[in-house]
Amino acid sequence: MTDDTQSSARSDAPRRNAPAFDRKMLEALVCPHSHAVLSFDAERQELVSKAAHLAYPIRDGIPIMLIDEARRLDD
Amino acid sequence: MTDQTGADHGKTTHFGFRDVEEGQKAGLVHEVFTSVASKYDIMNDVMSLGIHRLWKDAMMDWLAPRAGQRLLDVAGGTGDVSFRFLERAPQSQAVVLDMTESMLVAGRKRADAEKLSERLSWVTGDAMKLPFPDNQFDVYTISFGIRNVTRIPDALREAYRVLRPGGRLMVLEFSQLPNPMMQKAYDLYSFNVIPPMGQMIAGDRDSYQYLVESIRKFPDQDTFATMIRDAGFEQVKYRNLSLGIAALHSGWKI
Repeated sequence: MTDDTQSSARSDAPRRNAPAFDRKMLEALVCPHSHAVLSFDAERQELVSKAAHLAYPIRDGIPIMLIDEARRLDD
Repeated sequence: MTDQTGADHGKTTHFGFRDVEEGQKAGLVHEVFTSVASKYDIMNDVMSLGIHRLWKDAMMDWLAPRAGQRLLDVAGGTGDVSFRFLERAPQSQAVVLDMTESMLVAGRKRADAEKLSERLSWVTGDAMKLPFPDNQFDVYTISFGIRNVTRIPDALREAYRVLRPGGRLMVLEFSQLPNPMMQKAYDLYSFNVIPPMGQMIAGDRDSYQYLVESIRKFPDQDTFATMIRDAGFEQVKYRNLSLGIAALHSGWKI
């Protein structure tokens, strides 16, 4: 039970490319707020709900479908 | 964060043994799981003496995954339930949803995740506001997650909504021992052993203190079965695991 086992967090695996967002998921997802369909903005890596004026970020290939984390679209 | 203010500010809920405002709980739970994510698997092994693996296997035995099914694994964190499901059911697919991004990142790094990646998707989301259309999934699982949800009835209603007719809900959660003597012994173990162990292994006593308190606060088997029925599910049944330390609840959307 020594403390040095704790240092095993080292990342000696070669850093993989960030996994890409799986396009199949786009069809499976809706806006959690409005249940409206989403469009994929590849450049900003966001899933956009026009109905709710919200853009949900995709980080590291994982869509973040939390209203609190969404960017508000102003227009 | 330690002020117990909630009382006269609108609705409150439990965060372990503390009462907090409903709006605060998600953030507090999020802190706990962000804190424990990297050591979550090993802590589960230590806390349950490896028995959580048998419970998850028991969950699969009752669930009997079938080829081609679509699973939504809520609070699926590091993928334990999804991996088992996919391994048992050829051509099945699973979506792992968790409120805590770092749990998903930890899960996706596991070897099983790479092996099954074609059939697995990872989504950060809220059990009370699922980002899926109605009638999408054959199976909804939530394993050691439902007690962390702020409004459990909301999560159950969402489960019902996204399941297709004929779909099935299966919940694995810590529960209450029907025998008071044994409950007492178990309480002694959990309150005296687990938080110090969390300190030793994960360097985090408070998060594990929360975990044991939240287990004690969760409704007993029959009360929870009633909540599942209230959400619209039928043929609701439960099975105790390890004398009721944990329980499996099953319900169908007919």
